[in-house]
Amino acid sequence: MTDETYGSNYGSDADTEAANVLKCADCARSDSLVEGLDPVDHIPLTTEALAGFPDGVPTSTGANRRQFLATGVLGMASVYAASKIDWQQAMEAAVAEGAVADTNKLVIIYLNGGNDGLNMFVPTGTAFADYTAKRAGIGRANGVNVVDAANAITKLGTVPIPGNPELSFAMPIVGGPSAMNVANGGRNGHAANLGIDTLWTAGNVALFPAADFTPSNQSHFEARDFWFAGLLKQSVTGWVGRWLDRYGSDANPLQAISLDSSISKQIRTVKAPVAAVGSLTGINFGLQNVPTTDINLNAEMAKLAAVATGAGNDQLGRSRSIYDLTVKVSNSLGGLNGQDAIGQNPHGYPQGALGDRLRRAAVLLGAGLGTRVVTIDWGGFDTHGGQLASQDPQLRTLSASIAAFQSDLNARGIGDSTMTLVFSEFGRKIAENDGAGTDHGSGGAMMLVGNPVLGGVAGDVPIANGAMLTDPNDRANLMVATDFRQVYKQILADWLGGDPNAIIPDAQPAFARADGLPARITKV
Amino acid sequence: MPRISTRKGGVSATKKGKRVILKKRPKKISLKSARRQHRLKATPAVIQEIPMTQAMVDRLFWRAGFGPTAEARSAFTGKKSAEAVDWLLDSPQGALQGPAPTNGVNALDIFGERGNDDLVTEWIDRMVRSPNPLPERMRLFWHGHWANSREDVSPAQLMKKQNDVLGKYSDLAANPNADFATMSYEMATDPAMLRYLTGETNVRGRPNENYAREIMELFVLGVVDGNGKPNYTEQDVKELAKAFSGWRVRNDSTDNGANAMLAEGYFTPSRWDAGVKTLSWGKSGAFKDREATEAVLAHPNQPFYVTRKLWDYFVPTAPTADVHAQLVKTYVSSGFKIKPVVRQILLSAELFASIDEPTMIKPPAVYVAGALRATKAAIIDTDPVNSMMRMGQRPYYPPTVAGWEGGISWLNTNTVLERYGFIGRVVGKMPDLTDQPTETPQAAFDRAFGATASPWVSAASKANLLDLANRAPARTAAQRKNRQVVLRTLLLAGPDAQVM
Repeated sequence: MTDETYGSNYGSDADTEAANVLKCADCARSDSLVEGLDPVDHIPLTTEALAGFPDGVPTSTGANRRQFLATGVLGMASVYAASKIDWQQAMEAAVAEGAVADTNKLVIIYLNGGNDGLNMFVPTGTAFADYTAKRAGIGRANGVNVVDAANAITKLGTVPIPGNPELSFAMPIVGGPSAMNVANGGRNGHAANLGIDTLWTAGNVALFPAADFTPSNQSHFEARDFWFAGLLKQSVTGWVGRWLDRYGSDANPLQAISLDSSISKQIRTVKAPVAAVGSLTGINFGLQNVPTTDINLNAEMAKLAAVATGAGNDQLGRSRSIYDLTVKVSNSLGGLNGQDAIGQNPHGYPQGALGDRLRRAAVLLGAGLGTRVVTIDWGGFDTHGGQLASQDPQLRTLSASIAAFQSDLNARGIGDSTMTLVFSEFGRKIAENDGAGTDHGSGGAMMLVGNPVLGGVAGDVPIANGAMLTDPNDRANLMVATDFRQVYKQILADWLGGDPNAIIPDAQPAFARADGLPARITKV
Repeated sequence: MPRISTRKGGVSATKKGKRVILKKRPKKISLKSARRQHRLKATPAVIQEIPMTQAMVDRLFWRAGFGPTAEARSAFTGKKSAEAVDWLLDSPQGALQGPAPTNGVNALDIFGERGNDDLVTEWIDRMVRSPNPLPERMRLFWHGHWANSREDVSPAQLMKKQNDVLGKYSDLAANPNADFATMSYEMATDPAMLRYLTGETNVRGRPNENYAREIMELFVLGVVDGNGKPNYTEQDVKELAKAFSGWRVRNDSTDNGANAMLAEGYFTPSRWDAGVKTLSWGKSGAFKDREATEAVLAHPNQPFYVTRKLWDYFVPTAPTADVHAQLVKTYVSSGFKIKPVVRQILLSAELFASIDEPTMIKPPAVYVAGALRATKAAIIDTDPVNSMMRMGQRPYYPPTVAGWEGGISWLNTNTVLERYGFIGRVVGKMPDLTDQPTETPQAAFDRAFGATASPWVSAASKANLLDLANRAPARTAAQRKNRQVVLRTLLLAGPDAQVM
């Protein structure tokens, strides 16, 4: 995973491709998913369902499978449950739950491989000299970009994080040197392509700069399993899974969805049904080489579909109504898979696996199917070597994707009811290695993003006396300033609801914020 | 008036693990429902005496073919429908017109490495390039009726051989006396059928009921009569299964060798259950396959089933009891001949109902072949085959032994987009998209309309398309080409283009 280039480091295919450049022996991604467990069923995600039933929900009585499927299928949900689930009951449960407005939703992005937080949120304050000394090759500059002619490198600059003297955003966040020129049109040459820094300025990002557990664990396997379980041991159930078992639905598998080939261990339950959705098909009436700006074919088709049909002509009526539905669905879904033929990407999602999956997440969350939790596993962070060339593009994509996602959620009217959690199984060593990379460490960056989030540097910053504080168990590691279980518990207490101690029994000190704000993760 | 059963009525199609329960109750023919079904348009019953408008010619050549050609329009507009119908029924299929398709590089090789795609392409090509389209249209009907799938039949030669057999009952000029009884005898021991419904394993003492069930349920008799009363019992299935025992497939070559075309069903007396079989409608005897088929054909409700199924293939509304009775009369009095029944249906007033607003969704095969005929586009590699699979109708691969459900089930958001995408690819490769810099919007529309063989489009849709032609940017050559491509695509792949 280490040396993958931007855009290819996603999923098991990328893992296979990159296998020969791995510097870390145990970087397999797949074990973040529950393997060896077969889904009990596959539920078709119908066009109508994903469009939020533009023509109304089919009535439960008499809705047989064929009627339900009659509008087409945009994807399949693999259902994981204790026993076989009737697809129709599942859909009915999903629709019933979806009817409950504004239930709080959580999206979890797992940065697979151990993300280096120190090159993302850079200690440019009192510890900058310490940081620079330990990262002579891959460290960031304080302020503007610095050209190091002797070593033929440009050190990417930083911008102070408002309200915090110790940390700066790596060139927001994390543009390449040339992309940072505002005269070039802004980030990534795309003026509308905002990032985490702008969400921060809006007060919608809470940062925990060094979240992990103590004693930290530098095995990908064990560390991620602990994070997934919300416990300092491996467990059959994930922390979200236990929450679902206790407070979730016993009939709606779409309540928690992993956008992957299998379910994440985070949502592994004992009894509550959950689902994995590998892909969704985007749809539209585009034609190759015909720009939407010249001819908007969806709009033209809508006119043809709106022509009135003579009484009793059921088959022509069917044709026109299906065309009309297709247009409605297309407009509702937007381009699901990258920039599509007619250029639908109003929110500026970057191309690639993360942007695509966040788009899908937005569609699913907005479809009113009772989805409470979505997990995304996004790999490529195990940067043992060539870190700048691999991590920087990843972070840029992450930053822009999250901003696009937020814009999409707002447009769908669910921005205020959705929160995104970003974490990695561990941080990395403070000092760079000989391969211009960093090895497994501790205390990675953890973020909560979203309109409802009470923004700020919520977690302690492990800096004192002009230096980064180190882990007493391994002085090469960053000190773990925040126990991740505390944040989970606060997510449960403030956002998802339920008794945090029932889900995560490990006792934790009372939650308190480093930025002096009330001890919450939500604004209200 | 005997009540009739429909294919859709309470049918449960069994074939190995595939069991499709169709819950729709059988349609019952009553005066009330007949009136409702015919509220579309009161069309004169003596339709065949009226000179045809071009719309009527178009209707006939869509329902009985794959869309009108310019020749058909000019030959039959203003003529009585009987002239056109008799041309369709009495003309030879004719040698295929125009260039033969390739699989991208080479000529088709239907039993070769890419055999399955080429096999299907070869048939689609016949639909596209036959001068008289009715034989292939009929063959498509019979394929959906005696629905066997290449999925479960190997070698491929058996499917092609069956397709040839179906042709004998489809080319009604060459086989004017083709009858359903003979067809039923032949299909009972057709090697693809023996393989698909596992008749090969039907041995005395170890009966396999597959074919015995389907010949009554789907092929010849129907599950229930028009009152919903069962036409046969489970005991009848068991009795018939014994009669059909003893058959196997000779030349069981699975190496795709040329000899596989010689494969045939053959009878082994020692495997046959020679006992007396007794059926609930009073037939009894030491039946073998032939006598068993005769017995099913002698069931009093049999004539209602296949005549109704043929009607449904050409006309989307149910026949009145009287019309159906007339069909049955023609069928029975002719000795179960196919041609007079098809003739009567094609001459019926109902075929031309709602002539200004077509009422029947084109099956994918008709849609694809029709578009290729209309645009004179060559078949490009396997595009039609793959596309038709996603449209829900891949010839030689019916989804179950009950064939394709058809009707409104053809269209959903996936299949509509597939139809649209296919047309987009066909139009994009049309050779006559040359730029005409001074072309007016009206001329652009007219050119698109002509290039797509003047398809039916409602007045309101036509106004929309003309409006689009006016609005579409046309400053650059690329924009003018796009205007032309879009107009053609919408004419052939909009909602109006889906019906015939």
